[in-house]
Amino acid sequence: MTIHGLWVISKAGGLVFSRSYSDVLPPQPVNTILTLAGILHGIHAITAKLTPAPIPGVPISGLESFEAEGWGGKVFLTPTGTKFVVLHSLPQAGLDDLLRRIYEIYSDAVMKNPFHTPEMPINSSLFETKLQTLMSSVNA
Amino acid sequence: MTIYSLYIFDRHCDCVYYQDWHRTRPTRAPPPGNYKPGVHRIPNTTVHPEQNAVRESIFSKYNSNPQGQGQVERDNQNQNQNNRSSLISNTSNERERGPNRTTNTSLPKGLPFDEESKLVYGVILSLRNMVKKLSGRDEAFTSYSTSSYKLHLFDTPTNYRFVLLSDPSSDSLRFILRQLYVGPFLEYVVRNPLVKVDSRTEGIDNDQFRTAVDKHMKGLSMFN
Repeated sequence: MTIHGLWVISKAGGLVFSRSYSDVLPPQPVNTILTLAGILHGIHAITAKLTPAPIPGVPISGLESFEAEGWGGKVFLTPTGTKFVVLHSLPQAGLDDLLRRIYEIYSDAVMKNPFHTPEMPINSSLFETKLQTLMSSVNA
Repeated sequence: MTIYSLYIFDRHCDCVYYQDWHRTRPTRAPPPGNYKPGVHRIPNTTVHPEQNAVRESIFSKYNSNPQGQGQVERDNQNQNQNNRSSLISNTSNERERGPNRTTNTSLPKGLPFDEESKLVYGVILSLRNMVKKLSGRDEAFTSYSTSSYKLHLFDTPTNYRFVLLSDPSSDSLRFILRQLYVGPFLEYVVRNPLVKVDSRTEGIDNDQFRTAVDKHMKGLSMFN
């Protein structure tokens, strides 16, 4: 599995972090990614509405993953509404584990940072280095 | 493994065919003005449109409400009830009983059919554009999944879009959509002179096609 990129989307649908970790997918201008993150946020809400057979008592969830030819994306929704979107190659063994690691790094490096404003773009070199280390170990 | 529903969209972005199997939250009938014939099966056409029942769930014969049967007498107080097929009486009762409903109240109501099909198409279109933009190639996404269902997409060269909803654990089911296209669709829609292909006012529904699709689906190992 190769990780092509990571986005972090705030609960309002704004992109707060995005990095590319491979050159398989062409690099995108930040504005494009910003738009796409907003679209994904909307799709996430609509897909939940389309559930054909909801199980009583179980909350309806939205988009979790999508697949194209040769690559895909996985959406991990935290209980607070932040979304982590990972673009990856197929097959994607161990992706859930990786997402948990990313969430862990996010909690440590971003949420515990007293200078971080919630819902605002993430400017943390610690977050970036830790992610870079994690991603290079996966992509190697 | 379960198959929930099948949508076919034409190149005008309209839903031209719909069929469902195991939905516990069936779609509702669209308001009369938004109804396009030949897309899905509606019951007896003599039912008056102003009745609530017409707007209720009519597309699925799988009764999601096991308690509904006891209410038939009450239902018959209505003059026009006799016209209704049994398909709808069960589900229409669900609403009339109002506060007596217990078990199913937690289930959210389905969307009207026209809205639902537009949402399905909208999601497909947006996700498709997103995937196209991200990969920089002219490729479509093949499937997406949530915790409760998985949507498979198959595009034909003539821009028909076949969409199948199944349970999330299933593998790629695009081959089934291809089979439907190559088999029943070509046989009973494209080669059928009575079907107005590419008409914007009518769907492609006909008995043979519906039966063939139904038979094909029920013969699959992942049905149920």
